[in-house]
Amino acid sequence: MAKQMAFYFNASTCTGCKACQVACQDRNNLPVDVRWRRVYQYGGGSWTPHPNLLIANNIYVYSLSVACMHCENALCADVCPTAAITKRSDGVVLLDSTKCIGCRYCEWACPYGAPQFDEAAGVMTKCDFCQDLQAKGENPACVDACVMRCLDYGDLEELRAKYGDLSSIEPLPKASITHPALVLTPHKHAQPTGAGNGKLINLPEEV
Amino acid sequence: MEHRNIDLFVMWGWNPIYSSGGNPTYKALANKGRAKYIFIDPYYNDSAMVLADEWIPIRPTTDIPMVLAMAYTLITEDDPVTNPLIDWDFLNRCTVGFDAEHMPEGADPKDNFKDYVLGITDGLPKTPEWASQICGVSAQRIRSLAVQIGSTQNVALCQANAVARQRKSDNWPQLFMTLGAMTGHIGKKGSMTSGGYYHTRSSDGGPALVNAGSSGVPSIKNPLASMRMNDNEMWEGILSGKYTAGYQDVRDVNIQMIYHGGGAVLQSRDGMTKGIAAHRKVEFVVSQSQHLTTNSKYADIVLPVTTQWERYGTFLTGNREILIWGQQVTEPLFEAKDDIWVAKEIGTRLGLDPNEIEPVSLKQQVYNQLAGAEVMKDDAPNSGGSFEPLLTITAEDIAEMGVEGEPQTGRISLKEFREKGIYQVPRKPGDNFEYIAYKAFREDPEANPLETATGKFEIYSQALADAIKAFGWNETTPIPTYAPYDEGYEATFSDWPNQVKGEYPLQLFTIHYGRRSHTVFDNIPALRRAFPQEFMMNPIDAEARGIKHGDYVLITSRHGKTIRPVAVSERIIPGLVNLWHGAWVQMDEEKGIDLAGADNIINGAVPTGQGTSGWNTCNVQVEKWTGEPLAPDYKWPQRIPIKEA
Repeated sequence: MAKQMAFYFNASTCTGCKACQVACQDRNNLPVDVRWRRVYQYGGGSWTPHPNLLIANNIYVYSLSVACMHCENALCADVCPTAAITKRSDGVVLLDSTKCIGCRYCEWACPYGAPQFDEAAGVMTKCDFCQDLQAKGENPACVDACVMRCLDYGDLEELRAKYGDLSSIEPLPKASITHPALVLTPHKHAQPTGAGNGKLINLPEEV
Repeated sequence: MEHRNIDLFVMWGWNPIYSSGGNPTYKALANKGRAKYIFIDPYYNDSAMVLADEWIPIRPTTDIPMVLAMAYTLITEDDPVTNPLIDWDFLNRCTVGFDAEHMPEGADPKDNFKDYVLGITDGLPKTPEWASQICGVSAQRIRSLAVQIGSTQNVALCQANAVARQRKSDNWPQLFMTLGAMTGHIGKKGSMTSGGYYHTRSSDGGPALVNAGSSGVPSIKNPLASMRMNDNEMWEGILSGKYTAGYQDVRDVNIQMIYHGGGAVLQSRDGMTKGIAAHRKVEFVVSQSQHLTTNSKYADIVLPVTTQWERYGTFLTGNREILIWGQQVTEPLFEAKDDIWVAKEIGTRLGLDPNEIEPVSLKQQVYNQLAGAEVMKDDAPNSGGSFEPLLTITAEDIAEMGVEGEPQTGRISLKEFREKGIYQVPRKPGDNFEYIAYKAFREDPEANPLETATGKFEIYSQALADAIKAFGWNETTPIPTYAPYDEGYEATFSDWPNQVKGEYPLQLFTIHYGRRSHTVFDNIPALRRAFPQEFMMNPIDAEARGIKHGDYVLITSRHGKTIRPVAVSERIIPGLVNLWHGAWVQMDEEKGIDLAGADNIINGAVPTGQGTSGWNTCNVQVEKWTGEPLAPDYKWPQRIPIKEA
C-alpha cells in the first residue's frame, strides 16, 4: 500500500483541453458548478505598439490541471469543526459529506480550491482519488481521460524518484503551506511560485 | 513514421488540439527536442503552447504577400553554387509557370511567376519590406525564414484550412505549393508540402492501409444535380429569388420549402442573419436532428432521428492505420427514428418504392462492409502493397447475424474485431507502409504525370483561372498574385495609403473551440462551464476602448451583432479579435442582437472564387456593452423542447 497517494502532472504537454475536468464531473455526477478538478491557464508577455509591425515580447502560456492535493499537511482536515475530513493511512484525504454542516471553513483554508460547495445539497464535496475505481484496480477518471497522458498517480516517493520533486509553479501556492502530494514536470516557460511575471488568464466568471 | 525524418516543421494556421482527430499533437511529441516547430499564426494557439519553438505572429488574409516576399528572397539570394536555396531541378522538371522558359503551351511567356515576384511584370517588386507593411512580420524575419526553408534539407511545410477559409483566397494553396516546389520539399524522403494538414490527415498522410468494404447500396442520382446554389448565396437566393449559375449567368429561383436532412447548415454557414430571414420567408421548414439545433429551432416540424449509438452499426477511422467498428449500444430513445425509416415513410406517401429507398437493410450493409473490409499487405514499398481480406467470417457468424453471405478467410476473426471494435495495422520503422507522396512523379514526371492539364505542378494554371471565372463571381490570374481580400486587413482602413482606420477597424476570425466539434456539443452545461465562449482581444485594443478582462462587449459587423464576455489576452495579435466558431445562436428578437456569440451572425455570406466561405475574412467594431447584464451561458435554460410531465 502507498504511504502517501499522490498525483503527477506533466505541464509541458498539457493542452488545456479540460477532458480531465469534464470526465471527473461526468463520472461523479457532479452539478455543473462543482468541479473536483479544475484547469487553469497562466501566461504573460507583452506587445510593443507599432504602426505596421507585430512586435511580440515573450508571449507564453501554459495549462495546469489541479484537483485535490491530498496534502501531507491537510489544513482542510484541521479546520473542519465536525471532523468530516480525515486523512487515511495511504494519505488520501476523504471528505464525508454526510458529516458536513456546510460551514465552508475548509474552502477558506485550502489554497488549491479543492473543497467544492454543492449549493443544492448545502454541503462540501471534493476529489476522493476515485476510491471506488482504485478498489477495482482501475485508474482515476481524470488519468484515463487525458489525451496527452499528462496525469499519473501512485506513491509520492515513487513518483518523486521517477519525475523529480517539483511541487509548485505559478499559479499554485507555495508547497510549504500544506505540502501537497503532487509531482510536476514544468512547462518550458513555467514561472516559479511567488516570482511569476504573468497572470491567470481564465475568464473571471469561469474561475 | 516519416515525421521522424523531418528537421523543421513550418505549421501555417495549424491547431490540431482543437481541430484534428487522431491526436497528432501526441504523435508530434516524438519529435520534441530533435525537430524544430515554427507556428505561423495570428494567435498563439494551444498546439503552439505545447510544441512551438517559435511563433511568428501574422495578420489573417495577408499570407499571400508574405510568401510572395519569401519567393522574392529565394530568387534574389539563391546561387546554385555558393548559396543553393532553390531546387531548380524540381522546378524545371516537375512544374510549369515559374519562369519564361518553362511556361505551358498557349501561355504568354511574360506572365510567369518569377517576373511577377521581381516586379518586372507590374513594376512592384514583392520585397519583404513591401510584404511587411501588410502582414506585420518584420522584413528581416521574412527573409531569414525563406533562407531557413531553402537551406534546410528536411522540411515539412504544412498549412491548415483556416488560411484558405478567406474570401478571394483561391491562389493561396497554389502559392503554398509554389513555395514547396521552389525549395524542393515535395516528393522526396524527409520533406513534405501539405495541401490541407488537418483532421485525421495531420497524423500520417498516405493511402488508407485498412478500409471497410462497400455497403452494397447503389448511389442515387440527384435529378437536380445541374442546379446548384453556393452556400454563400443560398440564403440570398431564397430572399431575392436570384442566384449565380455561372459566368454572367444569373438565374431565377423560387424556393418554397427547406428540408434539413441533417447537418447544421443554418448555424454553420456565413450570413446567419439572412439565413434566419430565409427560414421565415419560405412556406415550410422541416428538420431532422437529435437535439434542438439551430436548424430545428427555426423549423416548423422537427423529426427526431437516431444517433449512431442507437443504430446497428457504422464504420469510421481516425488515421489511415485504423478501422473502427461502431456498434449499437442502445435501442432508439424516446420517439427517435432512423433517417432511412423517415425517408421510406415519406417516400411511400409520395408514390415511391420503399425498396428503392432502402434496397439493403442496415444490418446487411454492415455485414457487407465487414466482409469487404480489406487490409494492405507489407509487400510493396511506399504503401503500394496489395490488399487482403481483414476478416475471417464463418457460417456460424453469418447465421448469428441473420444476413446473407459466404464464409471467408482473413487476417483476424470477426469475433475479435467485434470485441475490440478497432483494428490497427501493425507498424515498424522501415516498413513498406512509410509513404512519400509524389515520389514516383518526382523521379519520372513524364512516366507518372499528375492529373493536371500539363501533367505537372501548375505554378501557372489556366485551369484554375478558368474554374474561378466559370463560377461567376470574380476572376483571378493563372499565377498566384496578390489582391486585397474582401473584408480583409486592408478593409479595416477607410484610407489605406494614409493608414486611417475605418468604421470596422478590427479584423475578426472564427476558429475552432475546445467546447465543441464545430457546433456539436454546444448545448452541454458542463462543457459550457469549462469553455465560456469568451471573445478574445489584445490588451492594446481593449485598453483603447476602456475594456477590461471579464467585461461584456457588443461586437458589430456589417452583417450582425452579438454580445460576449471578453478575455483580454496577449495570445492574440493587436488588430485582431476572435469569436470561437460554433456557438448556437440565441437571438434577442427585440434588440436584433445575438446573445450567444454565434460566429455566422457576424460573418456575412459573400461568395467568391470557387465558392469559398470566408469565415476568417470579417471586419468588426467592438464597444463595452452597457445594456442589461448577461448571465454566463452555462446558466441559461437548456434547449429541451419537451418538459417532464
